[in-house]
Amino acid sequence: MREKHAAWSALFAEKRATLSNYFLRRVAHRWDAQDLVQEVYLRLLRIEPADAANIRSPEAYLFTVAANLVKEHAVLRAQQPLGSDELEQVVEQLVAPTNLEADMDSEARQQRLGALIERLSPKCKAVLIMHYRDELSYREIAERMSISTNMVKKYIVKGLAACRQRMAEYE
Amino acid sequence: MNESTQFDAVRQARRITEQAVSWYIEQQEPLSERQRAAFLGWLRASPRHVAEYFAVVRMHGDVKAAAALQKLTAEELVEKARRDNPVVMFPHLEKVLPEERHPQPVRGRFTRYVLAGAASVAAIALGWLGIAQWRATQVPVAPVYARHYEATGAMQSLALADGTLIQLDRHSSIDVHFDRHYRRIEVQRGHALFDVGKDPARPMLVDVGGHILQDIGTVFDVKRAASGDTLTVISGRVRVLDAQPATAKGGGLLLPGAAIADLTAGQQIELDAGGATPVQPVQIAQATAWLPAEISFQHETIATVARRFNAYTSTPLDIDDGAIAQKRISGVFHADNPQAFVAYLSSLPGVRIIHDAQRIRVVAAPQTDTKAAQL
Repeated sequence: MREKHAAWSALFAEKRATLSNYFLRRVAHRWDAQDLVQEVYLRLLRIEPADAANIRSPEAYLFTVAANLVKEHAVLRAQQPLGSDELEQVVEQLVAPTNLEADMDSEARQQRLGALIERLSPKCKAVLIMHYRDELSYREIAERMSISTNMVKKYIVKGLAACRQRMAEYE
Repeated sequence: MNESTQFDAVRQARRITEQAVSWYIEQQEPLSERQRAAFLGWLRASPRHVAEYFAVVRMHGDVKAAAALQKLTAEELVEKARRDNPVVMFPHLEKVLPEERHPQPVRGRFTRYVLAGAASVAAIALGWLGIAQWRATQVPVAPVYARHYEATGAMQSLALADGTLIQLDRHSSIDVHFDRHYRRIEVQRGHALFDVGKDPARPMLVDVGGHILQDIGTVFDVKRAASGDTLTVISGRVRVLDAQPATAKGGGLLLPGAAIADLTAGQQIELDAGGATPVQPVQIAQATAWLPAEISFQHETIATVARRFNAYTSTPLDIDDGAIAQKRISGVFHADNPQAFVAYLSSLPGVRIIHDAQRIRVVAAPQTDTKAAQL
């Protein structure tokens, strides 16, 4: 596990966004995602203190655990008797009748997120757009806005958190 | 779930979101060992943290595409952000004319306005002497204040209750009128320099014959002459607005209208009844030539002395350390040589000077640093 983790850390550092998206697409199903979170959490708790100190990238570790669980889950599902998938779907719809978020295609999600960015304060909005659309660095944005790079970072955190909170309201 | 626990739940959810986003953003740089341990500790603290982290990562995957939907250019966005005045001005204006916009249901608000208006008129009538008395009978809100200042034979230095410092040249006069919503100063004639005190709840509006200057935390110079008015910004920012004649209910005061120009440090504009010239760069030393050539102080706090120097420079001195700011000093310096004052400050024990691009910060030096510097 540890050796594999080291390789993962390096790969993760390089392709962080792509990889995390890849896994999360796989767990987009809410029923699975909630189970997965619980299971990931339990595994995180089981890490020995000595091992914890050796984790080079906790984020990569997090996704490694998640990836392994998704794989295990897929294996389990494949071995289950025929028809259990349908049953699961029925149960799921009973438990989570408003499953809009999971069903929404990515374009609609992006539209919604774009509308949320539009509602941010002018400063937050300017910083987010320049960073994500125009790919300007914190330093470049700081110069254009006449603020410190630290403030740029704060606006990014504030803006993303506000978007995430409002996205959560839809779920 | 009762109201307060629901409120707590919302607040807690928001806090977890902010922590998750912060951790996500932190990972753009390699984490230090301590940060790694803290991040792992945070993840292990609650399954909600793990869930929120996943949710943030997932949303983040869409941010780039969502940001690309934005039509405005970076320049337009920066300009909008710049115009996003932290001082909330227009909601106050709405209160001035409430009965026209909301005929019936806002009776309470209208009554409040009338009371506030009556109170400020009363305060003007009572004048300076009556203010303490008037305030004693009111809820402690921002003080209402009205007074006329005139400098005849000699230049005057004024310190207003809100912390605003004014240098008034000879043969100059201003009218000061502060109420709950605005701090207004009318420059009637002559030449005045303003170092505006901070009061986020009440914008400072300076009325210069038909134009209104809205300050956004700054030092600026106003000169009135028969040929026209000149505004020079020493540090910070000032917005020039067209003044609109007020309604009778506005108490005869001019109301701020459309923005004409935004000025930053080292810029100048000339204003007359016909309008305004384009904004032009200017030498600060020229604009402040009328100010005293020497700054002398007797047993005054470093904070006060620093502000006096700030009237002469576009890279202001900021005293970041409270204890240093309150220290009292005496001396005489050339006003156009703030560097000498900075050098003097740096010689004081426990003082460290940091030169930023836009300001000179005076901070407390850690004891060990001082020792190391001496060795």
